[in-house]
Amino acid sequence: MNLSYLILLPLFGFLINGVLYLRSTRNSKKVSAELSGGIATVAMLLSFAAALYNFFLLRQLPAEGQLFDQMLFPWFKLAGMSVDFTLRLDPLSSVFCLVITGVGSLIHLYSIGYMHHDAAPAKYFAYLNLFCFMMLNLVLGATMPHVFFGWEGVGLASYLLIGYWYHDPEKVGAGMKAFVMNRIGDIGFLVAMFIAYKFVGSLDFIQIANTPLNPEMTTTLGLLVFFACTGKSAQIPLFTWLPDAMAGPTPVSALIHAATMVTSGIYLLARMHTTIEASATTLSVIAAVGACTAFISAVIACAQTDIKKILAYSTVSQLGFMFVACGVGFTIAGVFHVMTHAFFKALMFLGAGSVIHALHEEQDVFKMGGLRKKLPITFWTFVAGWAAILGLPPFSGFFSKDEILIQSLQSPHGSMPLFLVMMAAAFLTAFYMTRLLVLVFLSPSRMGQGVEKSVHESPLVMTLPLMVLGVASVVGGWFGLPIHEAHVEEAAGSSGRFIMLASVALALVAAFIAYKKYGKTTKVEQVNDIAREGFKIDAFYLSFFGNGTKNVARWMGNLIEQQVIQRMIRWTVAIVDLSGNLLKVAQVGSSQAYLMMMFLAIFAVLAWFLFGVGQYAKF
Amino acid sequence: MLNFENTMTLANESLNVFMVVPLALCILSFLIPKGLQRAYAIAGAIFFFALSCYEVSQGLGGQTLPWLSQFGIQLGFRLDSVSKWFVVLTGLVTFIAVYLKGNWYRKSPRIFVASSFFMAFALNAAFLSTNLITFYIAYEAVFVPIIFMVGIWGTQTKAASVFKFFLMSFLGSIMMLVSMFYLIYLYQSQTGQYSAQIFDLVQVSKSIAPERLCLAFFGFFLAFAIKVPLVPFHGWVRDAYVNAPMPATIYMSGILSKLGVFGFIRFVLPIFWDQAIQYHGILVTVAAISVLYAALLAIQSKNPRELLSYSSISHLGFVMLGIFSLTSGGVGAAVLLSVAHTLASVVLFMLLHFMSERKEDLTLDRFHGLAPRFPMLFVAFFIAVLASVSLPGTVNFVGEFLVLSFSYPVSALCTVLSSIGVILGTVYMFKFYQYLGFGSPNPKTGAESVAKDIGVFEISILIFMLGLIIYLGFQPAVILRGFSS
Amino acid sequence: MNGEIQPMMMVVVALIVFGIGLFGLLIRKNLLIMLMCIELMLNSVNLCFVAFSKMHQSVLGDLTVLFVMTVAAAESAVGLGLVIAMFRTLKSVDTDQIQILRD
Repeated sequence: MNLSYLILLPLFGFLINGVLYLRSTRNSKKVSAELSGGIATVAMLLSFAAALYNFFLLRQLPAEGQLFDQMLFPWFKLAGMSVDFTLRLDPLSSVFCLVITGVGSLIHLYSIGYMHHDAAPAKYFAYLNLFCFMMLNLVLGATMPHVFFGWEGVGLASYLLIGYWYHDPEKVGAGMKAFVMNRIGDIGFLVAMFIAYKFVGSLDFIQIANTPLNPEMTTTLGLLVFFACTGKSAQIPLFTWLPDAMAGPTPVSALIHAATMVTSGIYLLARMHTTIEASATTLSVIAAVGACTAFISAVIACAQTDIKKILAYSTVSQLGFMFVACGVGFTIAGVFHVMTHAFFKALMFLGAGSVIHALHEEQDVFKMGGLRKKLPITFWTFVAGWAAILGLPPFSGFFSKDEILIQSLQSPHGSMPLFLVMMAAAFLTAFYMTRLLVLVFLSPSRMGQGVEKSVHESPLVMTLPLMVLGVASVVGGWFGLPIHEAHVEEAAGSSGRFIMLASVALALVAAFIAYKKYGKTTKVEQVNDIAREGFKIDAFYLSFFGNGTKNVARWMGNLIEQQVIQRMIRWTVAIVDLSGNLLKVAQVGSSQAYLMMMFLAIFAVLAWFLFGVGQYAKF
Repeated sequence: MLNFENTMTLANESLNVFMVVPLALCILSFLIPKGLQRAYAIAGAIFFFALSCYEVSQGLGGQTLPWLSQFGIQLGFRLDSVSKWFVVLTGLVTFIAVYLKGNWYRKSPRIFVASSFFMAFALNAAFLSTNLITFYIAYEAVFVPIIFMVGIWGTQTKAASVFKFFLMSFLGSIMMLVSMFYLIYLYQSQTGQYSAQIFDLVQVSKSIAPERLCLAFFGFFLAFAIKVPLVPFHGWVRDAYVNAPMPATIYMSGILSKLGVFGFIRFVLPIFWDQAIQYHGILVTVAAISVLYAALLAIQSKNPRELLSYSSISHLGFVMLGIFSLTSGGVGAAVLLSVAHTLASVVLFMLLHFMSERKEDLTLDRFHGLAPRFPMLFVAFFIAVLASVSLPGTVNFVGEFLVLSFSYPVSALCTVLSSIGVILGTVYMFKFYQYLGFGSPNPKTGAESVAKDIGVFEISILIFMLGLIIYLGFQPAVILRGFSS
Repeated sequence: MNGEIQPMMMVVVALIVFGIGLFGLLIRKNLLIMLMCIELMLNSVNLCFVAFSKMHQSVLGDLTVLFVMTVAAAESAVGLGLVIAMFRTLKSVDTDQIQILRD
């Protein structure tokens, strides 16, 4: 088993494309999307093959010892702290690797079509490969600093890709916001590492899991890790960057901001689940935050008009579902939902990308409509995604989502209020998703005349990934069937089955309401309510933290720096000046005056010694 | 704790090359015609840097030459695992400083080249000295070339900034001088002999009541705190960095600040160990305040050089946090972070110089859109920014991470507060990068479109520096090895 | 007392000459005259040497005088050269005019 190929292939792709791009800037010859995209896609496909191969090798190991460590090189070692660059493959990282490389290759392929007209596709594909490299490091790292390496690296790649069209200051700002908010969360990660080092003495995940800590430290550690996850996985309070991150190219939103990067929070919680589950406080905080996020962002999603923003808030909401799964101590359900969500959400984002591409960068759902006939492949694959997220059997979402709903009630850490909030969120999910589907594909067309004529289905490089993901959205859930059934059986059959039926019924009702409400929409709707602006949370952050920091900084610059520090220096200068001026009196400038002083001094000294003047002076 | 025995039996005894070579280069520069000065300086600096690397790779060593032995002034030099990195950095920074083109090669280039090599000489003498007197002389000698540089090639308000810089540094130095004589006096009163050797003074400080050394401790502390600088002794930094010609700025931020750091490691910790423990809370707080305060100042700054100067203070706050953790791990991490900071800040200042060569106005209040016009330059710039915000994969991350890890067990609150500096660092560095690189280029200024991207030689220097940053980011053991025991 | 000059008398003369030189040096403004005054002071010292040499019956003093005179010749040559150079550049040998060190 050799894991280095898995991560090195995207790295090579990044380097080759990076060099190609830099060369193209010097001889100003564009590298075609086919070439650079081809390199990047092949790198990802090979990496996927490696992931698959390693997955099967891992399966052959005995169930207890499904763990493989590969030390690449020692990283740093200083006074008792020793960290190696070690890749670790176990069932958890294996699943993530498959999702990242699998969905990743499809999105790379799709990007060849989507970025065809871009000015510098080599740069785009370099960034995309860089992202995959970092993401693989994140999930394969055996120690906290190694995961942090990937953690920061994906944040960086996300920054670069959100602000990919950097001529637009707004997009640049969105990238910056994402990066900074991620870094705020990273403080939690950093401090968690410090605590782990202090109390465990090692930063290896296995060591951390095996070392019992005192309860307060366990809770602190868990909460800090969770805080880090709220940044990366866009949970309350750090969720406002994700909708803005939609400024990037749509395939990026599909890969980074739906399928992979935003789920790294779930990965981290799953990786550290021993620590997390050792503290009831941590668990309840995670569950509460997850549920609140799931519900609030679902509400916001119902009021959005931008197709990508709807999907973005939907992602935030679905991530909330996953966190609830972790928060009720049932991490495996969260991971399972990560996988199915990766399929159907990537599918929907790519579908949205196909729509946007066909409509020449139009993103307002109220300026679409009636695209079912014009974009048939996109439509049918989108429907598969829609059915999956609604949780209709036998689509993949059904298995993972219902498991979370059941566990939120029946797990020892679950409760009735939690369950009700989750049901409400599921209801809203069905509502806004149906609204999206109806407004884009089924309702009467509201497109402009010119746009409507030129609408065409996307080329095969774009529709092929859609179809593959469409199939995956249907069958993706079946992989988890054995676990699912075991747990459902275990969960005292009747109530579990009742919840299943209730949630499906609820979803259908919501879908019906949405269809009734939006099925006949013919004109552009103007919504201007607080939900549309995300309850003004973002504006509040901006004015409170953003401007607050700026004002404090300005205050420091003006008041403390100028008035105190520089004034202190000016006083010192004034004292030196004054003493200089006092002594300057003696410097009259005439050489004869100096001579006079010299001789007087000589006579004084002579007088002191020769005539014994000194003996009268007493010191 | 920190091992500073008199280990003069080490292998490497050819330490005088570190001082003789730059001094010879300094004197030789007066014989070179004006037009050839830059070529001479670059060749000399490369030779000097290569020689430093070679000598350092020959192993550690020490050397004592008799001088004024009756007053305890021997010429003691020692290359240990701390000083060797600073010596190598001196060579590197000298090379970058003389490499940059500017009006210092138009107006009296001889003085510039001679000052640069003299600076290298004085810095190396300071880094290698084991004797307080020679250290002090070298420490003061560093002023001379800086004052020449700022005085001759600085901007309009240079006189004031030179004065401020000199005054504050000198204030600290004088305090240190007095404290130094006090230590020598203590040694004399105990043993009847004079000595300014650090090893002897460490022995004295161990055998004496800690209260008697408090004032001396503050003398040393003040001198080095001004040099580093720590808030609130940083008043001179902004003016000096902004008004100095770029090579002088690079010297100041790249290596002069490390002289302060080095002073703390070499002199303050071994001699004043008890005082450092006693005032530990204050020291750590000062370091944390430096990190946060300077980062906030950097956020509100509109001038790129000013921003970088504040960011320097902020990062050096991390270095000091590592030293003030008073653990051997913290000190090792601080050395690593010092090297990292030198590399990153030198590259940033160098790139800033390249940019201002190509465009006059770089005010950070609007988007300049330079990235598409100078793609290579901005790729390098971006990597340097990443190093500066200490993203994992760069040596700055390893340094900062280790510093914070070792300071956390000692002072959790200050460590967490300093971690906030990481966020603020991201904010100002990215703002800095985005304002210069992103947005649409301003079409009105037609003259600037003539400017080209950086050339091959510049690129190779940048690849070397950035490659070092990344290589050390994965193999910091190169530096940390010396601190593992 | 057979008309031989007493050493003490020589010392008194030397003192007087030294006083004249010093007085002249302090009050005259012309550099050339100041230089001459310095020579006077130097010669008074020479006179002292001779006197003390005689007093102690030692030849060392006379020997030193020879050395001093040699050096003095060189010194006055340098001094005159400096004065001339100053006159060339500053167009004056008046010490009141020459105060460039002050500013």
